[in-house]
Amino acid sequence: MTSSSAGYILSETLHSLRRNPMLSFASMLTIFVSMVILGASFFFMVNANYMASTFESQLEVSAFLNQDITPEDIERVRGLITVLPEVASVELVTKDQALAQFGQNMGANQSEIIEDLGGVNPLPDKFTIKTTDPQQVITVAQQVETITGVKKVRYGPGVVEPLLKFTQWLRWIGVGIVILFTVASLVLISINIKLNVFSRRREIQIMKLVGASDTFIRWPFLIEGMIIGMIGGILAALTVGYGYNWLVEYLTMTLTFLPVVHNAVFFGEVLTGLILAGMLIGALGSTFSVRKYLRI
Amino acid sequence: MIQLRNVSKMYPNGAKALIDVSVRIEKGEFVFLVGPSGAGKSTFIRLIYREEKPSRGSIILSNKNLARMKDREVPLLRRKLGVIFQDFKLLQDRSVLENVAFALHVVGTPKREIGIRAKKAIELVGLATKEKVLTAQLSGGEQQRVCVARAIVNDPMLLIADEPTGNLDPETAWGIMELLYNINKRGTTVIMATHAREIVDQMQKRVIAIEAGKISRDEAHGGYGYDV
Ligand SMILES: Nc1ncnc2c1ncn2[C@@H]1O[C@H](COP(=O)(O)OP(=O)(O)OP(=O)(O)O)[C@@H](O)[C@H]1O
Ligand SMILES: [Mg+2]
Repeated sequence: MTSSSAGYILSETLHSLRRNPMLSFASMLTIFVSMVILGASFFFMVNANYMASTFESQLEVSAFLNQDITPEDIERVRGLITVLPEVASVELVTKDQALAQFGQNMGANQSEIIEDLGGVNPLPDKFTIKTTDPQQVITVAQQVETITGVKKVRYGPGVVEPLLKFTQWLRWIGVGIVILFTVASLVLISINIKLNVFSRRREIQIMKLVGASDTFIRWPFLIEGMIIGMIGGILAALTVGYGYNWLVEYLTMTLTFLPVVHNAVFFGEVLTGLILAGMLIGALGSTFSVRKYLRI
Repeated sequence: MIQLRNVSKMYPNGAKALIDVSVRIEKGEFVFLVGPSGAGKSTFIRLIYREEKPSRGSIILSNKNLARMKDREVPLLRRKLGVIFQDFKLLQDRSVLENVAFALHVVGTPKREIGIRAKKAIELVGLATKEKVLTAQLSGGEQQRVCVARAIVNDPMLLIADEPTGNLDPETAWGIMELLYNINKRGTTVIMATHAREIVDQMQKRVIAIEAGKISRDEAHGGYGYDV
């Protein structure tokens, strides 16, 4: 391609943007709305996922040991638990530590409590076990329960199952929303670009008649699509960015227990992604729509 | 110059527009295509600039068989042709100059040449004073002149026209014919499909009559010939 053609293609692009401002604006708005929806649903998905993981990571198995267990036995039990493949970490909370913890909660010191309890620490030694996958909590609990030296296992049955079900759902809903709105925005955008190209089929026909190559015809549409997509994408990134920031601030103030994702790098990646996606959709949309009219 | 050998054209809906047509047109000729509506004149024209491919037979234009030409070679073919239509096919929101320059831009003509050549073509069709006017604001005759200027600006070896005077009053039509006549005199081959009896009768050029997809008459210096 000669530099003369390149310059002409650029001026053609600007011409068509200016000549059809309503349509250009409508396309831009479509991409903007789609990208906002896409960005918002993406953040929803990520947060749903994060919430699910946070809730799940609080799940653990407590294995209480026999009162008269020896230190060697404690190590033996620890070994048996550690070799289980689903186990991520094992932490020993000795009866003294447990008592100290208990005392702190009660606002009294250790010796006072022991005195009050008749000189014996009634709390057992305990292993706190985290699993590699929260879904494995129940399996691990059942296996640990069979180890000699372990008196009792607690993992909050009745709480774990519904919680796991809930977090699973939360994830599916997040993914579902993203898929739904991706499809919706693609449909919206393709309708818009079809309209745009249809309004210019005459121009395309004339270009073909005077011997323009298909590549030459495509370029202005491609660049126009990319520019429109980029503007829509940038506006969407700003909207989603500010909107999300505001929402996060609001939520962390009002619903302090709710875990939300607040990571600047990730945040920037998503917003950049929105801009690139807008450009890509604009470019792809115009390429596919023009193709139909090139067969003249 | 151009040769059709046993060309048939059947459209996908089954309409047989041309049946076993063979004809040869020499360089520098001026040829009228006449015949009743639906005879196949436009189909003939469309085959020459490869908007349609023949179903059978071959069309040889400067040693190339259009029947076998690949799609990506078509732009190169069209750059050697000038095409004129009844409905002008101009970009309505652009000036006369821009419309003519358009044909030069799309083929990658160097920028400094474009202005000079476009203006020369516009002058030739007598629109030098209206260079900057949007084509939407021109009369039908003036619009057809722009179309002619655009068709000749690339110095084509062959000019094809499908009812170029179909939308014009007789006087304006003669103005266009004068243009085509002069272009032909400078050596460009012209093929023109038309229903304009008076023009054909008066110019006494080669006349190829098509009826129901077949050539029914081919005279070196003929008239329109139908009494309808
Ligand atoms: N694109 C098409 N698809 C299907 N059939 C077509 C198509 N174009 C033309 N035909 C048919 O082919 C035949 C010849 O049409 P063509 O347009 O070549 O006639 P014509 O001589 O130019 O007529 P007119 O003088 O009315 O312009 C007609 O029967 C027409 O219906
Ligand atoms: Mg016709």
